[in-house]
Formats: sequence, C-alpha cells, structure tokens
Amino acid sequence: MGLQAYLLLAAAVFAIGLFGVLTRRNAVGILLGIELMLNAVNINLVAFSRFNGDLAGMVFALFTIAITVAEVAVGLAIVIVIFRVRKTVEADRLDLLKG
Amino acid sequence: MSLEVGLATLMLIVFVSGLFSSGTARRCAGMIAAAGLLVLIAASFLLPPAGPGAGGAFVDDGLARFAKRLFLVSTFIGVLASLSLAAEVFSRRATEYYLLMLSSLLGMMVLASARDLILLFVAFELMSVPLYVLSGFLKREPEAIEAALKFFLVGSVSSAVMAYGLSFVYGVAGTTSLPGVAKALGSEPPLLVFGLAAVLAGFGFKIAAFPFHMWVPDTYEAASTPFVAWLSVAPKAAGFVAIFRVYLEGVGDRATLWLPAAAGLAAVTIIGGNLMALPQQNVKRLLAYSGIAHIGYMLVGLAAVSASGTAMVLFYLVVYVFGNMGAFLVVEAVARSEGAEHLGAFRGLAQRSPLLALAMLLFLLSLGGIPFVAGFWAKLYVLWAAAQAGLYWLVLLGAILTVVALFYYLAIARRMYIEAPARPEPIRLHPTLALCVILCALGVVVLGVYPTPLVLAALRAAAPLF
Repeated sequence: MGLQAYLLLAAAVFAIGLFGVLTRRNAVGILLGIELMLNAVNINLVAFSRFNGDLAGMVFALFTIAITVAEVAVGLAIVIVIFRVRKTVEADRLDLLKG
Repeated sequence: MSLEVGLATLMLIVFVSGLFSSGTARRCAGMIAAAGLLVLIAASFLLPPAGPGAGGAFVDDGLARFAKRLFLVSTFIGVLASLSLAAEVFSRRATEYYLLMLSSLLGMMVLASARDLILLFVAFELMSVPLYVLSGFLKREPEAIEAALKFFLVGSVSSAVMAYGLSFVYGVAGTTSLPGVAKALGSEPPLLVFGLAAVLAGFGFKIAAFPFHMWVPDTYEAASTPFVAWLSVAPKAAGFVAIFRVYLEGVGDRATLWLPAAAGLAAVTIIGGNLMALPQQNVKRLLAYSGIAHIGYMLVGLAAVSASGTAMVLFYLVVYVFGNMGAFLVVEAVARSEGAEHLGAFRGLAQRSPLLALAMLLFLLSLGGIPFVAGFWAKLYVLWAAAQAGLYWLVLLGAILTVVALFYYLAIARRMYIEAPARPEPIRLHPTLALCVILCALGVVVLGVYPTPLVLAALRAAAPLF
C-alpha cells in the first residue's frame, strides 16, 4: 500500500470526526469526534514518517497522543461539572449565554 | 532558556506553598506568583541573549525576547488584579488558579521561542489547556462552566485542525524544523498549501479572528473579569507571535501564498467585530467584540508582510495589553460595586469616582484611537505599514470602521460623564485593583505621549524576520 492509501484513511477518519463534532448533540459525543480528528492526525504523521524515512514524525505522534489525553481529561472534567450543576450534557439545552 | 527555567521554579514554589497552607491562607500563592513574576520581568531585561538551544528548536532572538516581556508584564498585571478577588470566588482553590495561569504563561514563553513544529504544537497546547480550566473556574455558576465547555470544544477542534495541517506541513517538508519547511516550499506542492491553510485556521480560532470568534463573547461574559482581562491580551499576543514564526520566518518569501487569506481575514474581522459590538448592552460583551475588531487591525499589519508591519503589530499588542486590560479592570471595579455589567452601571461614574472615570475614558480613547493616547499611534502605524505595502483598500476600510468604533466607545463615555448617577456614593476600589488600573493608565498615557523607544524596540525585534 502506498502513502496515498494512508492519507485517504486519515482524511476519512478526520471527516467522520468533524461530522460528529458538528452533528452530535451530546457533549460526550462531541468529545469522541474530537478524539477521532486527533487520531487522524496520528495516522498522517506515522504514515509520513514511515514513507519519508524520518523518525521525527513518530515523536510528533507520541506528543500528539499525550496532548490528546490531557485535553480530553480536561474536557470530561468540564462535562462532569456541567452535569452536576445542570443535570444535562445536551449541547442544545446549554443556552444561558446569547447575544 | 533561563527565563523558562525560572518560571518553572516559580511554579514549583507556588505549588509547594499550596501544599503547606490551607483555606484562605492559600491566597498567599498569588503574592508569591506576583513577586516571582516581578523578578522574572527584571531578569528578562538584564539577562544577555542566549544562543539557540535544543538543536536549533529553541531560539532566543529579538522577537522571542520582546514577546516574553509582553507576556510577563501582562501576566503580572493579571495576577495582581486577581489578588483582589473575594475569598469565596476561590473557595480554597487559589493555588490551582495561580498555578494554571503560570503554566499557561510557560506555554506562551516556549511558544515565542519555538522554531520546530513539535515544540510549537506542544507549547501551543500547554498555553491553551489551562485556559479552558480557568474559564470554568467559577464552577458553581452555570454560565461560567457553560462558557468553559464552549471554549473547550471550539479550542480543541481548532487544535485538531491545526495539528492536521501541521502533519501535512511535516509530511511534505520531511522535517519539523521551520527553516527546513521554508526550504521545502520552493516547489509549492498543493498538500503543503492545504496544510498551511489549516494551520492558519487553527491560529485564527486562538486569536479570535472573525469567522472563528464565537467562543469569545460567551467566555468573556461568564468568566471572572481579572482572568478575562488577561485572557483577552496574553494568549492573543502569543497567537500572533506563533503566526510570525510560521508564516514570516518559515514561509515569508512565499508570502503570496497566504497573503490574500490574511488580508481577507483582516477585513472581515474588522467589519464583523465593530458591527457586532454596536448593539451590545453588556460592557464585557462589548469589549469582547471590540477586541475582535482590534485583532483585525493587527492582521492588517501582518498582511503588510514587511518588517515595519510586523513591528507595528508588536507595538499594537503592547498598547492593546494596557488599554484592554485597563478597561476590563475598570469594568470589574464597577461591576463589583453595582452588581451589574450592563452599560447603565456606568451612569454618572464621573461624579461618583472622577479618577476611575478618567482612567476608563483614557482606556476607551486608546482603544478608539484618539490622538495623544497610545492607541492612536498603534492604529496609525499599522495602517501606515499597510499603505506602504500597497493595501489601500484595507487602509480605507480600517479608517472608516475606526469611526464606527468611536460610536460605541463614546457611548460608555457619555454614560459616565453626561448622565446623572443612580446612586451618589463613590465606588470602593480594592487597593491591588486600583494599582493595576493605575499601571495600565500610565502605560496608555506614557506610550501615547512618547511612543518612540517602544517603536524602535519593536522594529529591532521584527527586523531579523525578513
């Protein structure tokens, strides 16, 4: 398989993630979409790294994984706090701020 | 790198101080942080420039040094203003608050020096993630956590888009170092152009350029005001420095690739920010939209793609730090006394607290760009640089919308000076908040009367990029 196949796979995963972010109503679902988008980045990085014969991409992917985990941990914490106060995590019903 | 090591040490000290104190005594963490930042500011002026470190990935050039002083000063004012927050706001979590501010500052400092895509991305996230937590710091207030969720979702989606773009830049260039990327650009492969566009969109979210601004008004309205004052300036400045690194140092000689995008972004940001600020009744929302318009003016300086344009953006950022933080802090003082942030709370402020009203007037004039206050020079220089680059339509647009901006800035001034107050007693000001307002007012006035040294410093910082 060539580089192109991997790039297409990554683009598909990224698009699915973006679709999830835009259409999901549940905050946890949106978080899952973001996770997918960042995993597409990892596929890209590792594929480029393999086909360029350059290790920096692998290092980049490791850093991306660590950052993703930190980000999602913060995101879930915010969702938990919202659930405690509002008893809902549906994005549609979080509409106190407008204007 | 010694400044970053110093900052990390300061974070450790603040952390340990939190371990050994309890309850409201934890607020001493803020004083330790403020004192440490003062030492770091002094060190940033005294230390000689160091050579590049970490195999060329970490540089200590003029741009990095200029930006780091800006971050340190704005964080110092932010920490100082946060000291005035009431004990129940922190509810025993003061250590976390200051630690998060400092870790975000560490991200900005590293970002200013990063000349490698990996370091750039890591520093960018180190800056962003603490901001999500801080914006939801008032976790009992439904508005604040809702704003934090919005900020987090928009911010992390933009990070993902940026990382996706960076992966293409890396893949096509075959290296993560920015000078290497610049070399690879000669052949202009479409994937690289796509990658650079995605990275620009990611940065656009962070500096809140127009189509990517939707998190700004909500977050500014709901989060605690001293934090918002800082959030509205320091991360924006860091975003601009990162843009300079990637788009001027990295691909500056191929500027035609992204120049139309930057000029277009500047135009819609100026128009959108100013027009949306007009109908606002909440002063924090008004300042949020006006801040978006200011980002547009800075993008005009970027679109000039010249040493003077870049230098004038740096100058603009310094002026914006003082003007915008000052305005937000006056809003905090008024809101704390009146319990409201709408325009009516400012009614008759000049009769109640003449000095506070005068300070607010100075900040508004600076933001509006009236002569002999700092903001005037900032706008003038940025538009001048754009005119030199031949972007006359952008100059005209910027000049026209400055007049629109005056309309809503002076609406606040009119309430302060012409309308009668609802209550006669003066507004009581917390001492550290008063000190911050004085610092900001001094900055606005001094830079307005005598801007030359800072302009020259900004020119020196920007010159090596070209």
